[in-house]
Parts: sequence; structure tokens; C-alpha cells
Amino acid sequence: MVPFFKRKKQSNKGKRQERDSSGSSKNSAEEKDFIGSSLAANVDKIRQKTGYSSDLVIRLINIGPQSEIKIAVLYVKGMVDSQSINDFLIEQIMKNKALQEKIMPNEALDIITEEAVALGGVKSVQDWEELFTVLMAGNTILLIDGINKALSASTQGGARRSVQESTTNVSVRGSKEAFTESIETNTAMVRRIINNPNLWTESMKIGKMTKTEVSIMYINGIAKNEIVEEVRKRLKRINIDGILESGYIEQLIEDQTLTTFPTVHHTERPDCVAGNLLEGRIAILVNGTPFVLLVPALFIDFFQSVEDYYERFDISTALRFLRTVTFLISLIAPAVYIAATTFHQEMIPTQLAIIIAAQRESVPFPAFVEALIMEVTFEILREAGIRMPKAIGSTVSIVGALVIGQAAVQAGIVSPAMVIIVSMTAIASFATPSYAVAISARLVRFVFMISAATFGFYGIILAFIMLTVHLCSLRSFGVPYMSPLAPFIPGEAGDTILRKPIWAYSKRPHLISGENKVSEGKHQKPGPPGPRNMTNHYTEKGE
Amino acid sequence: MEKAKISAYQLFVLIVLFELGSAMLIPLAIEAKQDAWLAILIGMAAGFCLFLVYYSLYAYYPDTPPTDYAQKIMGTVLGRMIAFLYVLYFVYLSARVVRDFGEMLVIVFYPETPLFIMNALMVLVAVYTVRKGIEVLARTGELLFVLVSLLAISGLFLIVVAGIIEISNLQPVLEEGMKPVIKTAFTQTLYFPFGEIVVFMMILPYLNQPKKAKRTGLLALGISGVTLALIMALNTSVLGVATVERSLFPLLSTIQAIEVAGFLERLDVSFMVASVIGGFFKITLFFYVSVAGTASLFKIKEPTQLAYPLGVVILLLSMMIASNFTEHLQEGVDIVPLYVHFPFQVMIPVILLIIAFFKKGKQNDQAINK
Repeated sequence: MVPFFKRKKQSNKGKRQERDSSGSSKNSAEEKDFIGSSLAANVDKIRQKTGYSSDLVIRLINIGPQSEIKIAVLYVKGMVDSQSINDFLIEQIMKNKALQEKIMPNEALDIITEEAVALGGVKSVQDWEELFTVLMAGNTILLIDGINKALSASTQGGARRSVQESTTNVSVRGSKEAFTESIETNTAMVRRIINNPNLWTESMKIGKMTKTEVSIMYINGIAKNEIVEEVRKRLKRINIDGILESGYIEQLIEDQTLTTFPTVHHTERPDCVAGNLLEGRIAILVNGTPFVLLVPALFIDFFQSVEDYYERFDISTALRFLRTVTFLISLIAPAVYIAATTFHQEMIPTQLAIIIAAQRESVPFPAFVEALIMEVTFEILREAGIRMPKAIGSTVSIVGALVIGQAAVQAGIVSPAMVIIVSMTAIASFATPSYAVAISARLVRFVFMISAATFGFYGIILAFIMLTVHLCSLRSFGVPYMSPLAPFIPGEAGDTILRKPIWAYSKRPHLISGENKVSEGKHQKPGPPGPRNMTNHYTEKGE
Repeated sequence: MEKAKISAYQLFVLIVLFELGSAMLIPLAIEAKQDAWLAILIGMAAGFCLFLVYYSLYAYYPDTPPTDYAQKIMGTVLGRMIAFLYVLYFVYLSARVVRDFGEMLVIVFYPETPLFIMNALMVLVAVYTVRKGIEVLARTGELLFVLVSLLAISGLFLIVVAGIIEISNLQPVLEEGMKPVIKTAFTQTLYFPFGEIVVFMMILPYLNQPKKAKRTGLLALGISGVTLALIMALNTSVLGVATVERSLFPLLSTIQAIEVAGFLERLDVSFMVASVIGGFFKITLFFYVSVAGTASLFKIKEPTQLAYPLGVVILLLSMMIASNFTEHLQEGVDIVPLYVHFPFQVMIPVILLIIAFFKKGKQNDQAINK
């Protein structure tokens, strides 16, 4: 009982803290620990607080005619752009003429702020907590002896991965850019696509230890205010040590945790984020990961790739149809095989039934065990393949081909038909654009296999009904997960399994977007020019 | 009452799936021989009148379920008794449908599996759904309705392509005059399946556009009636009256008769898919309505908590209501329509409506249309 109460107390405390921080800033300012005016004491304190870390650089400069004013420049090695510190900060301060004259320390501060430092993002810091946050984020801190204030200059830099091609959302057509680990770069990439002041971002720091920068991005007017508010609320609620990846955020803001299906979408592509923002969705960018979250996410979103909108609609519709079929295959193909061979042999055409029976004659296991062996083997192979060093990768594929292939059949462990079914299922599960849904389908597949093995098609149908009920009961930020199919929204069902022509997208999704619902003007359907003006120009002239 | 809203389209889908649920399996109205389809259509027309009775009651009390307004109309004691009887009626019907489907599966597909297991699985899925509430059930209906429609359309197409329709089996029309047709319509088809729409008295208050209730209900009844008539006409024309009379599940025999292009045959599984989905909706709707009725009658705040106990009751009842399938069918034909369906579908609602009319006068449509 004791730990239970303890936890409750703690959570109460957490709530109080939350209230405090959101309440009057006056109150919290009183509790803050301010920077002292003695430079030596300040530098000592910083050293001590950071545990004399070797990557903290402290550089002391003397200014003034008799060099009696001491200045300390502090930054963390590797996180800053050292060239800009040298060129625009230290050099400027040392060479500044005004600073060589006889001045008081507080004048020095003003001169440095207004004249000397040729860097953007200069601001004064008064309390220790802020100082450390700023310092650890890669800014440079300037301390002046005799002044109880610090100056921070934005000098973030250091080695980051450059913008590269996406590895997880590959496309044939469209922008090749993918997000990077830096949140500033990512925000800028989206802004470059949507040149509009209504693209709003809100930043916050999440994680008591990591202080990870997380920002919400949405288009004011297009995003629904209630959903933005809900996202804000859920993000503010988070009280955790560290955010290492957007997956942490995803798991902490989901509507329902007891499901294998993702209710938050993530992508690596700026154009995908831009497209979703234009539909009224909200992006959550997390520093340190190229994966940007998108909410609300509907089931059907996971079957769409941004490229669908770049191809012509008939092609995209066919592809989307194909994906739906592959999803169903990856879900129930082994289950149907098990049910058909175990319970409903009459539904297999006679010739095929005889062939399958002949193949299965030498196999010592029931169809379910056979399928289970193969499926589990495949999952092992897949898992091994992902995390294997590239040099050994080819070995896995060779061994894998032996295990799921001719050798397994010759050994009499499985029948050739089963090998085909399992391979087909595997390929189908890779054809689903979203990894998150593909992996949940893989889990659900085993449930289907078990129900097929115990009750044949009746089991499959009941499992399917239960799955449908479950999917229909899910919500993503209050939006029904299966919409616009269930609840059925006539105008929008055209952008689900089908993909209506671009000129027919007159409205934004009804349940997701806010007040601004009109996404394109009327009469967007293109056509040939007026009768006989241009098209028959040459033939009429008789040339 | 649960805080939920369903749209007119969702109501439509639920009514159609509900009406087709078990009625499409059995030789409906076969007492009228080859004119069964006509008996179904007449039953449907009479069903319209019943629906209008229920609708008028709904129009008097658009926000409350009948278990509540029965108390307003008849007084607390009598009203509660009526409400309780209705809950029992819904529980009993739910159990009956569970039994119907369990027996169908055991007889046709799983001769060696115990009936109890079949019923238990179905009730398990129903419990899961009822716990999720009416909104989720309605959304599920929207999705599965597409599947059932696709199956129905492809089935019809295949029957036509297979060339097994013998129109002569439907002739002569009205061989023995109107009398047997009318008799069948009013002793059987009116109550089952059309009168069973009485459960939607409990669902109507959830509708988000009360104005559309009348049109949607009538349209759904009409479409399901025409579909059922079409199914029976197809059965009779493919199999002939004698076979349909003898068979337990004529639709299955019809589907088994399909043979197209040498490999599209033995499509029993598609029959099973459609019938289990239909049955699921019929069971779950009866089940949900009994849960909602019990909750409003005994003022239980969390209706979904009742899903487990009532599920067990329905499961046990489905095993106990008859000792074998023949007895079950016999009860269904001889006893249930006259002694169970008639009072609950016709007598009580009409009495309620008359008293409500005298109490509230002609403000009928105003409550909804304002």
C-alpha cells in the first residue's frame, strides 16, 4: 500500500508544480537562484556544477584601458560553431575601441550587447537555471566581473548530419529531401514548402534531464483549435526524464495504448508533413530525430504514400487498391490456408486439393504447426536481417533462402504450398507503405492463424469482426480512427482506398480541419482549349 | 442512456443488416409456396405500419428510450413492468438468434463441434462489441455492410451467369388465390423479420437527426424487404418449391448450385461470411438493447458493465430454450409469433400510442421538427 500512496502523493506534487509554472511568473521568479556579481565566484560555481567537465571551455579576457575589467567566455566544445565565436565574439570584443576606453563594467555590458558582438540571438540571462539550459544547448555565455547578469549569444553549431535522401519513405517521384536530426533544419524545410505566416510553431522543452526541444507546427485557421489545444495539453502533461526519439512522445500522447495499431503517424519527408498540415493536421517535431509526428492519424493514412498525389489519379487509385489487398493478404493469407486445408477442404478446387493433399502427405505436422514454424522462422530472419552488420547481411539471406525454401521442403518439414503462402504473406507485408501498420498486421496475423486452426472460417470471421469492432472503437485525438469510412463521410471517402482526381479536392477533411475548409477553387478540372481555336488550327488551314 | 449519437445512414445500415440477419437463411414464408416473395412484400408493407406506430411513439418522446417513456405513459409501476417484460423479450430473442446460428454452423459446417462452443464464441464477440457501445457498433456496421453488399452483388451476378434460374418454378402466381399468401404474411413474415424492428425503438433516441428517422426507417425496411423477397424468389426459382420446403437453409443450397467457369463453385464459405456477419448484428443489437433497457430500468450508470452478466444469461438461455433444433424451429413457427411477437410488437406499442395520444394530444411531429 505504501508505494501506492507515495506515487499518488508524487503525482499530486507534479500537478502542483505544473500549476505553479503556469501560474504567476512573479511567484516563481522569487524562488529562482540568481547569478552573483563576482566573476571568479560565478566561474567557480559553473565549474563545480558541471563537475569540472573537460568539454566546457572557459576563456578569460581582460578589457578596458588597464585591462581591469575581466570577462569570461564560456561554451561547450563541439556544440558550438567555434569559428563564429572567434571571429564575431572574442575578436570583436578585443578589438572594439569603445571597450578600450575607461569604462565601468555596466557600460561594458551595454557596449558588448549593442556594438561589439556581431551575432544574432543575444540576450541577457539572470538566473542559474536558465544559464545552464542555454549553455548546454550550444550557446555561448559571456560573464562580466561585477555584473550579476550573463549574456548569451546564439552560436549553435557543430557537426550534424546533412540533409539526405529519405531511407524509410522512399519514392520514385517527388522531393528527395528528408528531415535531419536538427529541429531548426526540419522546421525550415517545412517553411520552405509553405510560405505563409499562418504556419505557426510553438516550442517547448520536454524531459527533465534531456530538455529536448519539441515544437508543435500547424497552419492557423486550417488546423482545428480543439485538436491543437488537446495536443498542447497532452504534451504539457509529459513529465519524464528524457525524450530520445519522437517515439517517446508518440507513446505518451496516444489516445489508447492497448492496441497494436498506431494512432499517431510519423514520417521522414517534409512534403508529407506539408501535405498533412494543409489538410489540417498538426506536426510535432522533436529535436534529435528525423521522424516527425502527425496527428490526428487515421487508419487509412497508413496506406497512403505522399507520392499517390503526385501520380495521376487512376494510377494512384489502382495502387491504393493493391495496397488494401496486400494488407488483407498479409493479415489473413496463412489463416485462410490453414482453415481451408483443415476444415473446409470442399472449397478448394478438386485438382488443387489433390495436389495439396499429396504434398502434405509427407509432412508430419498439422497445417497450423507448419505455418507457425514457417512464420516464426521468417520473423526471426527478418529481425536478424535488420540489425545485422552489412558485411554479414548476405550470409543471412543465403541461409534464409535455405530455411524458407527448397531445403525445408526436401527435409519434409513443410509443404511447398506453405512455402508459397508464407513468402506471399511476407512480400505483402512489405508492400504496406507504413512500417507501423505492417508490423501490427504481423502480430494480428498470429491471432488469425490461431482462430483459423481452432474454428476454421468461423474463427476467421469472428476474429475479423472483432478486429473491425476494435478498429472502429479507436480514436486519434478524438477523431474516429476509421473515418471517413466509418463514420462514412460521402465527399471524403474518395480519398481513401480510391484517390479522386486532384481537381476534385474542393474541401479539406471535415473532421480534422478547422474553420478554413475550402482547399481549392471551383472549376479546377482541366480540359482542351475552346472549340477549334488551337487544336485544329493546322488541319483547317490545310497545311 | 449512453451518451452517443448515430447518423441516419448508420441507422439505415443497422436496420438492413438486422433485418437480413437471420431471415435470409431460412425458408421464409414458404407456406405461401412459390408466392413466398409476395408474402414477404405484403409482410413488409404491414411492417411499415408497425414502424409508423413505433415512430409515432418516438415522436412523442424523442429523447427517451421506451423503457423510460413506458413509465411516463402507464405510470411508474405498470410502466416498469412493461419495460421489464421488454427487456426479457429482447434477451429471449437474442438467445434465439444465437441458437439459430449455432445450430446452422453445427449442422452445415462443424458437425463435430459442440453447439455450446459455437454459441459461446458468438456471445464473446457480442459482449466485446456491446462493451464498446452503440457508436462503435454502428461504425462496424458501416464497414461490414460494404462487405455483405459486395458478397450479395457478386452472388447475384454468379447465379445469373451460372444460368440456373428457372422462372417456371415461380409459376403459377397465386395458384390458390390470395388467401394463403395473406395468411402467411400476417402470421409469419410480419412478425419475423419485419416486426422485430421494434428493437429500434431503443435505438432511435440516439439518432442525431430525428427528422430523418421516418424516411430512413421506411427506406431500410423497404430495401431489406425487397432483398428478402428477391432471395426467396431466387431460391424458389433455382431449387423449386419442393426442395425449398424441405431444406433448412435454402440460400445455402442455392449458393451450392452455382458453378461458373469450372472453378467458381462450392462457395459455401461466402454464405457463411454473410450469414455470420448478419447474425452478429442481429444478436448484438438485441443484446445491446437489453443491456441499455436493463440499465435505464434499474438506473445503472455504467451500462457496459452489464455486458458480462447478460452475456452469460443469453449464452445459457440459448442452450436451454430448446432441447434440439427441431423443437427450436417448432417453437419459432407455432408459439413465438402469436404469443411472444404479437403482444410485444403490436399490442403493447399500440396501447402505449393510444394512451400517449390522449395524454399529449396532437403535438406529435412538433417535438421532432422544432
